[in-house]
Amino acid sequence: MAEITYTEEDKQKVLEKLDQKTWKIKDLAKVLRMNKKVVQKIVMDLIEEGKAAYWSSGSTTYYATPRYIEEYERRRAEG
Amino acid sequence: MQQQEKPPWWKTDFGPPYFKDLMHPVLKKNYGKWAYHEVIRPGVIKRVAESGDVVYVVRFGTPRLISIYTIRELCDIADKYCDGYLRWTSRHNVEFILTDESKIDDLIKEVEEKVGFPCGGTWDTPRGKYGLTNIIHTQGWIHCHTPAIDASGIVKAIMDELYEYFVDMKLPGLCRISLACCANMCGAVHASDISIVGIHRTPPLVDDDAVRRMCELPSTAAACPTAAIKVKAKEKTLEVDGEKCMYCGNCYTMCPGMPLFDPENDGAAILCAGKVSDARHPPELSKVVVPWVPNEPPRWPTLVEKVKSIFMAWANNAKKHERMVEFIERIGWERFFDLAGLEFSWHLIDDFRVPPFMYASYRVGTQFRW
Amino acid sequence: MSETPLLDQIPDGPWPSFVKEIKKTAEMQDKAVAEGKEIKMPGSARALLKQIEISYKDKKTHWKHGGIVSVVGYGGGVIGRYSDLEDIVPEVHHFHTIRVNMPTGWFYSTKALRQLMDVWEKWGSGITNFHGSTGDIILLGTRSEYLQPCFEDMMKLDPPFDIGGSGSDLRTPSACMGPALCEFACYDTLQVCYDITMEYQNELHRPMWPYKFKFKFSGCPNDCVAAKARADCAVIGTWKDEIQIDQDAVKEYAEWMDIEEEVVKLCPTGAISYDAEKKEIKIDNSNCVRCMHCINKMPKALKPGKERGATVLIGAKAPFVEGAIIGWVAVPFIPADELFDRLCEMAEKIWEWWDDIGKFRERVGELIWRRGIGEFLNVIGQEADVRMIKHPRTNPFMFFKEEELVQSEVVKKLKEKGIKWRSFEYEEEEI
Ligand code: HEM
Ligand code: HEM
Ligand code: SF4
Ligand code: SF4
Ligand code: SF4
Ligand code: SF4
Repeated sequence: MAEITYTEEDKQKVLEKLDQKTWKIKDLAKVLRMNKKVVQKIVMDLIEEGKAAYWSSGSTTYYATPRYIEEYERRRAEG
Repeated sequence: MQQQEKPPWWKTDFGPPYFKDLMHPVLKKNYGKWAYHEVIRPGVIKRVAESGDVVYVVRFGTPRLISIYTIRELCDIADKYCDGYLRWTSRHNVEFILTDESKIDDLIKEVEEKVGFPCGGTWDTPRGKYGLTNIIHTQGWIHCHTPAIDASGIVKAIMDELYEYFVDMKLPGLCRISLACCANMCGAVHASDISIVGIHRTPPLVDDDAVRRMCELPSTAAACPTAAIKVKAKEKTLEVDGEKCMYCGNCYTMCPGMPLFDPENDGAAILCAGKVSDARHPPELSKVVVPWVPNEPPRWPTLVEKVKSIFMAWANNAKKHERMVEFIERIGWERFFDLAGLEFSWHLIDDFRVPPFMYASYRVGTQFRW
Repeated sequence: MSETPLLDQIPDGPWPSFVKEIKKTAEMQDKAVAEGKEIKMPGSARALLKQIEISYKDKKTHWKHGGIVSVVGYGGGVIGRYSDLEDIVPEVHHFHTIRVNMPTGWFYSTKALRQLMDVWEKWGSGITNFHGSTGDIILLGTRSEYLQPCFEDMMKLDPPFDIGGSGSDLRTPSACMGPALCEFACYDTLQVCYDITMEYQNELHRPMWPYKFKFKFSGCPNDCVAAKARADCAVIGTWKDEIQIDQDAVKEYAEWMDIEEEVVKLCPTGAISYDAEKKEIKIDNSNCVRCMHCINKMPKALKPGKERGATVLIGAKAPFVEGAIIGWVAVPFIPADELFDRLCEMAEKIWEWWDDIGKFRERVGELIWRRGIGEFLNVIGQEADVRMIKHPRTNPFMFFKEEELVQSEVVKKLKEKGIKWRSFEYEEEEI
């Protein structure tokens, strides 16, 4: 399999989106008009770096920034 | 969290403990070399290895929800009788493996008296004497957010009623009972002799305020499997199409402002005549025979009564080895509804989008000729 | 007056009671606190009882979902929960579950089990499920900030315990006890399950797929882990050659068993005949469908054949969205010694295909329906086999590949006009 590469600019675009809501890779790719595999790689790398994180509905998994998730969870917990 | 220096004991992705390290030495020694087994009394299976070694597997029913303090008691007993080993089965039963036949009675007495778990849940196919095993079930009101019924309380009520069949082996065939507290069916109970499934009957009641405060509108709408949710962008809330909603609770998972509970309308459907084993009859899905019974905590009398009448219709009339589906195929559904005292209603005629037609010709199960 | 009048009615009856378990935890937890033990969730078991009592009164749940997922580096294994009664039961306002990957086959030494219980006494509610219906050990209820230290304590145990799957990942695989205790096992369920679990730790801990994927392993068609109904990939032991017969043992059974009625007549294909004089049975193995009935009836006398392996059924799932299905045959037979390699090869191809074109929350079985079995068989490199069906199709609406057609004048002209045929190869979707 060929190494998947991307630019710092692409990564920044993904990060910006991740700070707005929880995402599925596919939707993120669609909105950003980027290749799904590239987006997946970027998100994985961001998670590795601690700049993105998972959010789960129990059966399915979403991605966002830790800042967003913390804030989102706080709202959900308080009701 | 940036990558920090990890302590020396730090590790991830190490997986479960290796099972052979947690296995009684006599099982390791005879691994893959078992000759035959016999059920010598309800709850006690004698397993004989080719080497001549013999073990006695003693099975006890548990409530699935167990205190760590109870587990410590089970450990004490396993230390005393079984050299410090024990195991669980795939249906919430706990098993002790003895090498000394003379200790069986003491072991059973100690577990029943100290822990309160009954010995049983076995079946003797050669002799055609079958016991009822534990009900496999999900979380219900103990821990889940979308249940239409409780799980543990109903299981307790049913097993109290059918207790004599667990501790004895006086049924004509195998009977698997399962319960899932909503139609997501985490336990995947759709192929059991009798299954109980929690169903909601009303769509989510949108709490506009809560939706605005807590929810992502597009993700919530997108989570609906039937596309029943519309975003009302101007009002910053959501709207549910009652004709499309099938009450799955996915939207509530995404958004606490979409509760789909109605205590008076939530309840259980009862299904029967499914199986997964290929013995004689290939695997089958269960079919709905009671569309709805209400929630009646703490003891669910209507539900228990219906389950019992289905169970007894089979237990009293099935031939030796016959499971629910084989029994009903022999006598016919009309006779079964009579025998079980159930009412047939229009709800029981399928009008849901059927699985693709082609699936009907696929071979399910493993019955092959070579 | 008791605080829990409804739940108090539950211990009625002989079956073990979950309420008793929670009450016992509550009492012991208080005692442990009084003894000065380090308990991070004091009063949580009692609070849980209070909340359930309210659920019994209101006839509804009081849990809300939380999306909190796991520990550093993992994306699954925790189910987030908040109580909507935080004023009444603050002790369980946050009450997340940790799924712990059980030892394959659910075998435990008391030493391993006690250590894990000590960790949970400290960091959680002290309440567990043995086991959740996927097979994991369920540690029921702790706060977000304790997830990480709890896992770190689990890492330090001997043996350590790892976290299981949840979300869009490989769920914790499970297996029947197979060769450890059962003479029917046609392959080493425990070892294959363990090896798959270890091979795909990344897929188990870091969800990246459209939805979940489950493996379950049963050693014979009795299917004691109900794989056929629940696993996207069910691996069921079977054999190809002749059932092994020990006629002496048949004679022993003949002493008390009605072999004609209970074995011969119940064989689904009438493959067995019994000579009542000689007290011997004969099996027409070419007509046997390996259902296990006769073997279950006479475990001492009959054994599966010697050419053993497994059938792979694909696609089982619960009802949402397209209705419930039982897995169907994808690979009729894989020899036991090739099983692990072939499963890995197949799973990786399926995952790549599904990850690429699967829709959000589409299980593999549903994707196969949408794209057609032809494409699926191409993806896994499997030839069609009559054992995949109950009967051939009843309609003539078949697709033919371009190269299967007679290259006639008409075909040539159609091509000139640019007509395309279905390729049955999948191509990556362009965005
Ligand atoms: C005489 C034939 C059979 C034998 C020797 C046998 C053997 C076993 C063994 C060894 C277990 C424990 C497995 C484990 O916990 O991992 C077990 C459990 C189980 N078996 Fe079988 N099996 C037989 C027939 C069947 C059949 C025909 C079914 C069909 C439904 C079946 C369904 C189950 C189930 C559901 C369990 C869970 C046990 C429990 O109640 O806790 N078995 N069986
Ligand atoms: C849209 C569908 C589904 C949703 C939203 C869903 C959600 C959940 C949630 C939230 C839990 C956690 C319960 C708790 O501990 O509080 C759970 C547990 C579980 N789910 Fe699902 N689920 C879905 C479908 C399924 C299906 C189809 C299966 C199986 C084929 C499944 C298997 C399980 C199992 C085995 C558990 C553990 C349950 C237990 O033992 O208590 N789920 N699910
Ligand atoms: S069956 Fe439904 S209510 Fe029950 S645990 Fe699963 S998702 Fe929750
Ligand atoms: S309950 Fe399910 S079907 Fe109904 S609106 Fe919510 S997500 Fe859609
Ligand atoms: S599935 Fe077959 S091999 Fe596995 S425990 Fe059950 S009877 Fe034995
Ligand atoms: S395994 Fe089943 S089909 Fe084969 S001979 Fe025995 S009873 Fe008949």
